[in-house]
This record gives sequence, structure tokens and C-alpha cells, in this order.
Amino acid sequence: MARERAFSRRRLVGGTAGGAAAVALGGGLGVSRLQEALAARTAPAVIQGTTKLTYWGGLIFSDAANEMLEAKINEWGKANNVETEVVMINQNETSQKVSAAVESGTMPDALDLGLDLLLLLSTTEQLVPLDELYEKIGGAQGGWFEAIAGATDPSLLGGARTGIPFGSTGNVLFRRIDVLEPAGFTEAPATWEELREQAEAAQAEPLFGLGLALSNVGDGNLQVSVLQSFGGRIADDAGKRVTIKSEETRAYLEWVSSAYEAGLFPPGATTWDGAGDNTAYLSGQAVFIANPGSVYLALLEDDPELAEQTGFSTLPAGPAGLVSPTQPNVRAISANSQNPDAAMALIDTLADPAFMEEYYKVAIYGPVLKNQLPFEIFKGPVHAGLADLVQNGTAPAEPDTYNAAYAEFNTNFLVPKMVQRVVVDGYDFDRAMDEAQQQGQAIYDKYP
Amino acid sequence: MAVIAAPREHAGDRRRMTFARRQALWGYLMVLPVSLILLGLVAYPFCYAIFISFTSRVVGDPGEWVGFANFRYLWGWSSFTRALQNTVTMVVVSDLLKLVIGLGLALLLNEPLKGRGIFRAVVLLPWAMPGFVAFLVWKLLLTPIGGGVNLVLTETGLHGGIIDWLGQRSTAMPAVIAATVWRGFPFWCISFLAALQNVPGELYEAAKIDGASAWRRFLDVTLPAIRSVILVVVLLSSIWTANSFENIWIMTQGGPSDATMVFPVLAYFGMQSQRLGEAAAVSVALVPALLVLVFVMTTLIKDDD
Repeated sequence: MARERAFSRRRLVGGTAGGAAAVALGGGLGVSRLQEALAARTAPAVIQGTTKLTYWGGLIFSDAANEMLEAKINEWGKANNVETEVVMINQNETSQKVSAAVESGTMPDALDLGLDLLLLLSTTEQLVPLDELYEKIGGAQGGWFEAIAGATDPSLLGGARTGIPFGSTGNVLFRRIDVLEPAGFTEAPATWEELREQAEAAQAEPLFGLGLALSNVGDGNLQVSVLQSFGGRIADDAGKRVTIKSEETRAYLEWVSSAYEAGLFPPGATTWDGAGDNTAYLSGQAVFIANPGSVYLALLEDDPELAEQTGFSTLPAGPAGLVSPTQPNVRAISANSQNPDAAMALIDTLADPAFMEEYYKVAIYGPVLKNQLPFEIFKGPVHAGLADLVQNGTAPAEPDTYNAAYAEFNTNFLVPKMVQRVVVDGYDFDRAMDEAQQQGQAIYDKYP
Repeated sequence: MAVIAAPREHAGDRRRMTFARRQALWGYLMVLPVSLILLGLVAYPFCYAIFISFTSRVVGDPGEWVGFANFRYLWGWSSFTRALQNTVTMVVVSDLLKLVIGLGLALLLNEPLKGRGIFRAVVLLPWAMPGFVAFLVWKLLLTPIGGGVNLVLTETGLHGGIIDWLGQRSTAMPAVIAATVWRGFPFWCISFLAALQNVPGELYEAAKIDGASAWRRFLDVTLPAIRSVILVVVLLSSIWTANSFENIWIMTQGGPSDATMVFPVLAYFGMQSQRLGEAAAVSVALVPALLVLVFVMTTLIKDDD
């Protein structure tokens, strides 16, 4: 079996090297002709014997991007005589669907994943090692950005590269230029204190200053980065002992609770769902929001005027510096796949620069490979921010240590819950920190 | 002769026994498929969930037997104790409100009103609407800015400012209960209406002749006559409400803080962490309370019979 795998990988490398040569030689060809040529490439024999290949794509806000991915996979299947089935999964539900699939033994051959799920599935040996493919793609396209390579480092993932990054994400600060400039603010806020100052000056209800989620959703975990930029830490360097109760966390709580008491957060921010900040900004209820970019797509389509009046910048820094994490979304192959070689060939094809250049135009992702940086799209406002983030942003969890306990800490939204304890329940800072400390340590204790 | 007759009689008995046994066997065979389905679809998952709750199982790893560790961990979790309180509050208050509204409307719709058929159909609408649509509509109605409820309050001058219905501890749970009651009362109403239609009219006439007031007739005739239906509806609705997820998830996701955290949402958070043992423990923790409820209710129903 191992021999077969090695043989087929060589075939795969050979086949794709030919493809890379075609890309190099095809500089004068139009993109579509080049894609056709790539798709029509003769498949290795092992792929042609493949049974149906199932792919779970991560559904994003851009229909065009979703359709492009699906079409590309089907086109590859047709060219390689492989029956393909593409299922687009809402990324908010990937975790639940993957859990059910793992437990019932119905994992797809390949799938798109976020970093937390990649960590979990890798440490429980649910994914195929992809080190060779990772090296090949990186080598052919100028290398992976440091933040991307670090986030998928084998030391975090049970000893192997189990995911091929295809897009980076992180938060960009959106601001309403049309209300901030008349208030005298022409530059983006550099610190959280400046952000608060600008928000307070520009606020005119029903327009609220800070459209940041404080609820039990992924967006609420932006507060972890804010806390860390104030010098707070979730745990010690070893990633074992929770250290959330600190003077730095107190300073952060002072900042967020005083802004809340000043009425800078829109009503409902403590119970927003994942679309809360999007809705607030699009409906003119927020001066500032932090968002990976999906709002920008909606703005272009629904409110181009507001899009023009929107400025984009990196997240502000705190007293301890800038904490603006970037992390990759990856493609991975299930260990139970009956068609790992075909899945690898498909993932290799999906990393094709010509396809990715077109894909990035309609998807909100930053680059992952250095050769992608010159793509025209990364000169656009939000995409430039995402490109900047992947070069200058911080690694996932930094300054904390990224591990399974840290991931579970955030899945339980303990930092936004600590804030809710203060602003909703009226806890004093010590009591709120004590609870987060105790519950956080209980989580960390589960991971010896 | 007697010697010959005896074996004949004995043979006849054996034939009758065989026939009876065959009948019994046939009966067992007839119920076997349903029993197997019940075992496979109800008993097995139920017992398996209980088993998992005593293990350290995570997605992709069967884990090991950890005894009561998951339950001890949950007991120390403030959200768990809050979920316990909230679930009980939600079930009791919702049931009481649904009982009052459902029974009141059923009594009204049992009277010979003009357009009664239309009213009966209209009452069913919240029940007929998909749950997620109903709760999304409620969420939109309760949106602080631009939501219908605040608009009405502002326009009528009852309240000038913005009320963050779902964002404050004092109003979040009442708001969720209101939506849950609105969605659930039609089931109560229709069940009671069906029961009321089976109460013999002679009983009311006899009570009237005896000089009983409307209130006494309600207490002494109506309530005893529909008591068993009330018990069944309370039992079913309590179980459904205790296990309801979409109302909370769509409207508050258990927040603000843990003001509306209930068991199913807590179990869902456990699933997000991929820790199946803990998630199962959350669900299993509710089972004893539900078993007590089922036992009490079924005893009461049996007493009625």
C-alpha cells in the first residue's frame, strides 16, 4: 500500500511538474485557454480508476467564488474521467458536519477547513499527511508566507503538514469616512484608545461608534485580540497554566466596559449572531467594525456609495502592541478517503496560480503564497489589507501558545463572556476575571 | 373405550395448545419488526448516549471510561447551573402561559361564535409556521433599532427610548418565553378544543339545573372531563420545551451572558468543541428530571383511567 502510494505520488509530481511547465511556457496564452490546457492534462492511471470523489467546499459569502470552485472541481473531474461530487458547506456548520461524518465514517475525500478543525482532526489522525504536496506547491510559487507556514507547522499538527493553505483570513477595520472626516479624523485610529475617541466623536444615534460583537459567536472572539494587545494573556508560554487574571486584563476590561457604558456599542451587540456586525454596518448603525471582508462584498453589491465612503485599515494597537492574527484556510484529505491520490491531484490543480488569481477576485481571502502577492486584486482596498495582514499580522494565538486548549477556550467564548459578565450582569472586574480564570483552567487541565 | 377415548382427548388438548401457541407466536412475530425498530432507533441511541457521557470521547477518538468526571466538570461550570435554572424556568413559565392561553382560547372557540371555523384555522398558524421562521420573525420584531415592538412603543408614546429586548438580562428570558409560548400555544388550544367537544352536553345541563355558576361548571365539569388531555399535553409540551433549541439559538444563542442558556444550547457548544463525552453528559443530565416528570404524569393519567 505504501509502495503504491509512493509510486502514485511520483506520478503525481511528474504530472503536475508538466503542468507547471505548461504554465511557464504558456505566458502568452489567455487565462481561459491555459486553464483548459491544464484541465485537459492526461491524468495518471491511478486517478482514472478512482471511484466517486467527494469534496466539501467551504461556502463563503460570494456566490461567484462558490460557483467557481464547484465548476473547477467538476471540470477537473471531467478532464480526468473522475466522477466528482461537490457539496458546499456553510463554514459556521463545518465543525458539526465534520464531527458527524467522522463519527459515522462518512467523511468526504477532501474538504476545506479552518485552523481549529485542522488541529483537532490532525491530532486525532483523521487526515492524510501532505508534506510533499505542500513543499511542491510552495517551491513552485515562491514559498509560503511565514505566518501561513507557522500556522500549519507539523509541530502543531501531530507531526505532519495535513493541510494545503489556499487563503488567509483576518480582521480589517472598516470605518465611515463620511462621518469621521467632518468630525476631524482623517486618519485611521492607530490605537484602541484613539478608536474609542473617534467613535465617541462621530457617534450620532442611531449611528453607534463601535460595531464590535460582544456575543457568543466567532466575531466576539475579536475581543481576545484586543485583550492581548492590552498585554493580557490567556495562558503562560507553556500553554498549560491560565493567566487571564492580571492587571493587563483589568486595563482591557476598563476600556471595553467604559466604552459600553458610554453607549458606544449598538444595542444588541451582546447577543449578535455571526452577521450582527455586517448588518449594523450595512444599515448605517456603526461607525467602525472589524470584519474579514464579507461586508465589503455586500457593500459593493448593495450600497456602492457607502463602499466609497468606507476606509480600511489594520486593527488598532494596544499598550502592548498590535495583535492582529491571520490564519489560513486549508484543503485537506480524509484518512478514510478511498481516493487519496486523486484528491491530492485535485488539490494540486486547485492551487494553480491562474485559477487562484481568478478565484481571489471574487472571494475575500488574502494570499498564502509569495507569488500571489503581485496579483492585481491585492491592490484593492480590502484585499490589500488582507495581503498586508499575512505579511505583518500576528500568528494565530500570538502572544499566547496555539494548542487544543486555546482552541477550546475560544470555542467556549470565555473572553466575550467575561465582558458580558461585567456589562450585562454587573460583575466587578475581579469576579469576572476569577470566573474566566477558573473556567479557563478547567479547560486547560483537560489537555495534559 | 375409556382407554381409547383418553388419548383422543389428550390429542385434542395438544392440538388446542398448539393452536394457542401458534396464535401467540404469530402475535409476537407481528410486533417484532416494530420492537426491533424501537430498539434500534430509540433504545440504542439513548443507551449509547448515556454510555458516551461516561467516557472522554472526542470526535475521532473513542476515549476511555472516565466515570462521573464529565458530570463533575459540568457541575463546576457556571453555565451548567445557569442552564439548569433557565431550563426549569422556561418549561414551567411557558407551560403555565400556554395552559392559560390555550385553554382560554379553546373555551372561546368551543362556543357557537360567528366565523368560528376561520378563527380555529387562524389559531393554528403559529404552529403551522416552521420554527426557525417564527423565531427569526420574533428576533426581527425585537430588534432594538427598527424592530416592530420598539416602533410600536415609540409611535404610541408608551416608551421613548430604545429597549434592547434580547440584550439585557431582565428582558431576554421573558422575550424568548413570549416567542416560545406564541409558537406553542396552538397545540394546547387544539388539543383542549378536541377534548371539550367530547364533553357530554347533558353534564352542563344537569349542573345548570342544580344552580351551578359558569365558574363552578368549569371547575366541576369541564376540568375533570379534560383532565387526562391536559396531563398528556403538559407532559409532551414540557419535554419539547426542555429540548427546544432553535428558539434560543436563533434569538440569543444563550446570551446575553448566560441569561437564556439552556441544556440543548449548552450541549451544542460541547459539540462545537468536539468533546462528545461532555456534550452527551449535558443532555443526559436532563434525563432524570424528565424521567421524574414522565413518571408523575403517567401515574396521574393512570389514576384518571
